[in-house]
Amino acid sequence: MISAFIHKFSSPKSYVRLTEKLYPFFIVLGVSLLTLGWIWGLLFAPQDAVQGNSYRIIFLHVPSVIFAELIYFFMAICALMHLVWRVKLAAYLIKAAAPIGAMITFLGLFSGSIWGIPTWGTWWQWDARITSTLILFIMYLGVITLHGSFSNLIKADRLMSILVIIGVINIPIIKKSVDWWSTLHQPASISISGGSSIDPSMLYPLLISIIGLGFTLISLGILSSRSYIFTREKNKKWIAEHV
Amino acid sequence: MFDLAFSNLHEILDMNGHGIYVWSVYALGISMIVISFSIAKKRIAGIQKKIKINNASS
Amino acid sequence: MVRLIKSEIFKLLKKLKSWLGPLLIMILVLIAFPLSIDISQFDLDKFYFSIIVVSILMTSFVATEGMFEEDFEDGSLEQEFLLEKDFYKLALAKIFVFVFLIGIPLALIGAIFSFANGVAFNSFAKVFLILSLSNLLLFNVFAFGNALSINKGAMLGVLSSLPLALPVIILLGSSIRTIQYGDGFISIIALMIGIGLLMSALMPLIISAALKTHID
Repeated sequence: MISAFIHKFSSPKSYVRLTEKLYPFFIVLGVSLLTLGWIWGLLFAPQDAVQGNSYRIIFLHVPSVIFAELIYFFMAICALMHLVWRVKLAAYLIKAAAPIGAMITFLGLFSGSIWGIPTWGTWWQWDARITSTLILFIMYLGVITLHGSFSNLIKADRLMSILVIIGVINIPIIKKSVDWWSTLHQPASISISGGSSIDPSMLYPLLISIIGLGFTLISLGILSSRSYIFTREKNKKWIAEHV
Repeated sequence: MFDLAFSNLHEILDMNGHGIYVWSVYALGISMIVISFSIAKKRIAGIQKKIKINNASS
Repeated sequence: MVRLIKSEIFKLLKKLKSWLGPLLIMILVLIAFPLSIDISQFDLDKFYFSIIVVSILMTSFVATEGMFEEDFEDGSLEQEFLLEKDFYKLALAKIFVFVFLIGIPLALIGAIFSFANGVAFNSFAKVFLILSLSNLLLFNVFAFGNALSINKGAMLGVLSSLPLALPVIILLGSSIRTIQYGDGFISIIALMIGIGLLMSALMPLIISAALKTHID
């Protein structure tokens, strides 16, 4: 019964119809929230007592690393649906989401690295969080490369799903082991104002930026997945009414 | 909470010496997002064209 | 199962040159490293072990490359599927044979070199044990990478296996401290044995799922 329910709501056709309606709403919401959050954070939020103005990178850095991981977890859920319930759409979504995840992970790494220059005096540090984000980036590249190497797309979908699931199990393993490894050497410290709480004047633009980036990335994912669905399903009859 | 933290454009760009870091990050971020949207839109347009041609000829 | 092990041993021994080469490269690297640095400036025993770890990583990757490629291309995977309906035993046998014929010699070479460089003077057996167990883990990981990438080459294999191999490397690298500072050796060994058993039991399942996709 569950599988019938899943199959009813996860056909590419209903996905395309649904996203056609949702897309305008998501993109407007995403871009406006992101713009609001960034303008607020860049121009209106006060200077940080310790870091001065370089802390403003946080409004791009923190949303990026949050979504770097969230997108992978989303891919893992899709991979599970593909392997267990044979949902084709799930594999299409993984294929569409992976490059977006890789891009946002790269942005997270880059922004963190640039932030480190005025803050720590170095653009790279082998601490737990940075190293695990780097490995996450490699995992995204692995997923993209794997799917691209096989001409038999059904085979490629299944292999990609297997890799994503093993990868998602690997994420906590990597975090724990790199954390253990880096505490053997030097303590990591990323703090905003020396304390563990963040001032509301910085917190609100941060939250708005996170939600804004989220909707922006979802809209990007909708565009990307629609084009991929059209490519894979182009010989089906229902495509004609959506083109 | 809603006062401008800087007094003029020069201060905004300079950000007490940190401007280059902050603005290069945001420039890259915005350009990456914009470029990915335009790539995605082009792809959809290309696929739609192809399908239209296919349907017209068949 | 015995039949599978025998045939895997036979196949591996036929390809002697393909893994004897990596073994010799490892020896060369371990000799070349002290030659390339100023020994008087550096305390060799502090980081020689990491060179051993990195050489083992690279050598075992090269030695296990294309683990399933030949079977895939000459059709023996399909034959095996007809016999057993599953690749669990094949994966298990292959990993087992690879660890015994390649992993153990690698661990031996690594242990000899660590011993010779003052890394752990009186603990040859301990170092050998740690290296062998980590080879078991590494070979499981690389077998998984090879099962996914089958004949698509090293780049895909690396990208698939590397994220899984890195925690093993971290574990291995930190394990030498327990020997050098005489503390916590038993717990590390217990951890490695536990993870090793878990991986050896579960990895062949996943490898089997990946191989089944290839022959569908």
